[in-house]
Amino acid sequence: MGELVVVLLRCTDLRPGVDPLTGAISRDPRASALSASDAAALEHGLRIGELLGKRVLAMTAGGPETEAPLREALALGAEVRRVPVTASYLEELAADERALAQALVAALQGEVPDLVLCADRSADRGTGALPAFLAHELGCAQAPGLVSLELTPDGLVAERRLDYGRRERMLVPLPAVCSVEGAGVRLRRASLPASLQAATAAVPVADVAVKPGAVRVVRAGPSRPRPRHLPAPTGTSRERLLALTGALLSHEPPTVVGPVGAEEAADELLDFLVRQGYLSEARTGWAVT
Amino acid sequence: MTDVIVVGAGPAGASAALTAARAGLEVVLLERGPFPGSKNAYGGVVYGRVLDDVLPGWYDEVPVQRWVTRRSTMVLTDTQALTVDFRSTAWGEAPYNGCTTFRADFDSWLANKAVEAGAQLVTSTVATGLLVENGVVVGVTTDRPDGDLRAKVVIAADGVNSFLAKQLGLLPKTDAAHLTLGVKEVLSLPREVIDERFGVRGDEGVDVEILGCTRGIAGGGFVYTNKDSLSVGVVVSIDGLAKSGIRPEELIADLKAHPAVAPWVQGAEVKEYAAHLIPEGGYDHLPELSAPGFLVTGDAAGLCLAAGIWLEGVNFAIGSGLAAGKAAAGHVQRDEPLTSYKQDLEGSFVLQDHKRLRKAPGLVLSDRVQQQYPGMIADLVEGMFTVTNPTAKPGVLTLLRRSAKKHGVKLRHLAADGLSGGRTFR
Amino acid sequence: MTQWDDMAFDDRMGTVEFRVGERPHIVVDSDICRSCTTKACVTACPANLFAPTSDGGILFNYEQCFECGTCYQVCNSEGALSWTYPDGGQGVVFRHG
Repeated sequence: MGELVVVLLRCTDLRPGVDPLTGAISRDPRASALSASDAAALEHGLRIGELLGKRVLAMTAGGPETEAPLREALALGAEVRRVPVTASYLEELAADERALAQALVAALQGEVPDLVLCADRSADRGTGALPAFLAHELGCAQAPGLVSLELTPDGLVAERRLDYGRRERMLVPLPAVCSVEGAGVRLRRASLPASLQAATAAVPVADVAVKPGAVRVVRAGPSRPRPRHLPAPTGTSRERLLALTGALLSHEPPTVVGPVGAEEAADELLDFLVRQGYLSEARTGWAVT
Repeated sequence: MTDVIVVGAGPAGASAALTAARAGLEVVLLERGPFPGSKNAYGGVVYGRVLDDVLPGWYDEVPVQRWVTRRSTMVLTDTQALTVDFRSTAWGEAPYNGCTTFRADFDSWLANKAVEAGAQLVTSTVATGLLVENGVVVGVTTDRPDGDLRAKVVIAADGVNSFLAKQLGLLPKTDAAHLTLGVKEVLSLPREVIDERFGVRGDEGVDVEILGCTRGIAGGGFVYTNKDSLSVGVVVSIDGLAKSGIRPEELIADLKAHPAVAPWVQGAEVKEYAAHLIPEGGYDHLPELSAPGFLVTGDAAGLCLAAGIWLEGVNFAIGSGLAAGKAAAGHVQRDEPLTSYKQDLEGSFVLQDHKRLRKAPGLVLSDRVQQQYPGMIADLVEGMFTVTNPTAKPGVLTLLRRSAKKHGVKLRHLAADGLSGGRTFR
Repeated sequence: MTQWDDMAFDDRMGTVEFRVGERPHIVVDSDICRSCTTKACVTACPANLFAPTSDGGILFNYEQCFECGTCYQVCNSEGALSWTYPDGGQGVVFRHG
């Protein structure tokens, strides 16, 4: 058992600028901040660290722009560490969370944490793969997507949402990697004296040689079917109204599918997209890469 | 306990922190936004020469959008536009004159200078009030836990709403008559399109001040060029705005649709919309600038020059901030009275410009200048340049009388305003 | 000349970043507003946050506030608005101000 609770934070501009004309994306380094779920992860980490009487280490991968949120963590009593990677590298890594997980674990310098917390929307834009890779690297349990974490006499009890409004409560054996939703808790505020001290403190940079990601993204396409172009209705006002409202057309009644398993659901969706003309028949055998 | 607390990391606060820290004082600079400049909005031009002494070569590193090399003053009616246009290549070379920049960039840059000089910047912290003991300001309360902080001098650079100055009664709680509201759109346009539409190239930029585009509400409009965007907006008296029942964004829409402005902004997309108050009382409505243990700078002190063709604020904020930092250092190190701050400002451009142009806000925002003169002047010029053959050209005086009559301007009022204008801007 | 705006107001406000805090930093006392005849805040607020209600009161939404101060400056009813800044780090974040 280690003596450490680790919180992995993603510090980035949460509202990157999208040029309305060119679509070019720009991130403002000054606006680097914690998302609601990152803030929740830090709050859980600080609280559980206090209860367990263990050190809390807040760590992030990124450039110097990530230091402002780390200083906030420092002011809240956590130790901080930055894994030095450039923004472009981080974007590449987002496609290969394994390399990122390895870099983060290497930055722990051999210390084995009791608990690793991260946000459910971490560096990988919410695929949820990072916590799993981390758990693999650390050889410990994992519990992603939690809404609450409580320390009870039995151990760490976590709760997460399931389909149909159900919740599951589980006992998480330590050591574990947990990712949390931005729900239930708000990050406490640092005191003024601590903030003053943290304002000028240096943020330690982990001495880690980060390997390049093994996965290369060749092309990233649109994430949803393209809209179909429909001609504007013509004719008299009555005809146009009828065309727009579809009042006299026959309709396919809504189909209720399921509850079904993931595979049947996927097949059903693909069939639907083919029927509606969003996918060609030839592509139904596509693989998600 | 620290030497100086500066509240607000805008241009005034950053400058005050810079001089105080350079004098060797322990300085805490509080900012309520997540980073300096994040709460600030303005028209778009900074005149940076005030930095020559403290940051030599500032123009090589300031985060500039474009250097203003062309200044236009426009008078609009619904269908007419009269422009006086000036350009100078000298303004496009060191030491330059004015530049367009965004406050998030500029204020962060300047605050960083204060940090480099040794000031401690704490962001995301609101100074909620002053600690006062026996009539002397001894610190501030903040919204952080354990948030009281004591200091020998508190410098309020907390902007136009300065609740700190209000707490001491230096500023009235409300003062709608001497405040204007600026609303602005930043419009995205490709760089080459801006260069082409405004006749500039490279880093050159344009500054257009506009009169007569606010539906008779006292105020004016502006168009500034940034690298790949335009800043378009209006500044209106909030009293007038409230009485008119017109919504501020409608005034921007009006301006953007005017035949003289529409071709500039055609095809542009709104990148950000912003609003901010501006103190426009001028010299006659400046508050007390100091109290025991307390100095007021920048917008908090109403140091903003909105005198018709001169529209300046950031330079006065910097000027007053530098002086406040100096006065605080004198007070802490040599026990000099804080009132030396005002004397210092009286001797500098900050109060001299305000004093010289003390009548300007009243004149520029007067009903005649706002509602009657734009139409009168535009009609006069239209009359002069409309070739009415076979009728012979009318004399200029005839045209003046005609257009004055049409717009309900009495010639004696015109003469009186001309005279007071001459005195105001002498 | 009445020129209608070329963009929906929600889209306009959508161009601005607001970090919404838990605490409403401006509170309107609607009982006082009911006796107000001008309701200048409704048109003057550049973020259009003051909505008149059918019973003559005012409904205020603090989330998209520019923190400019226009509302309390034009308000003619003493005490109708209690106006503070949002907690540190919350509220509007201008990138191109």
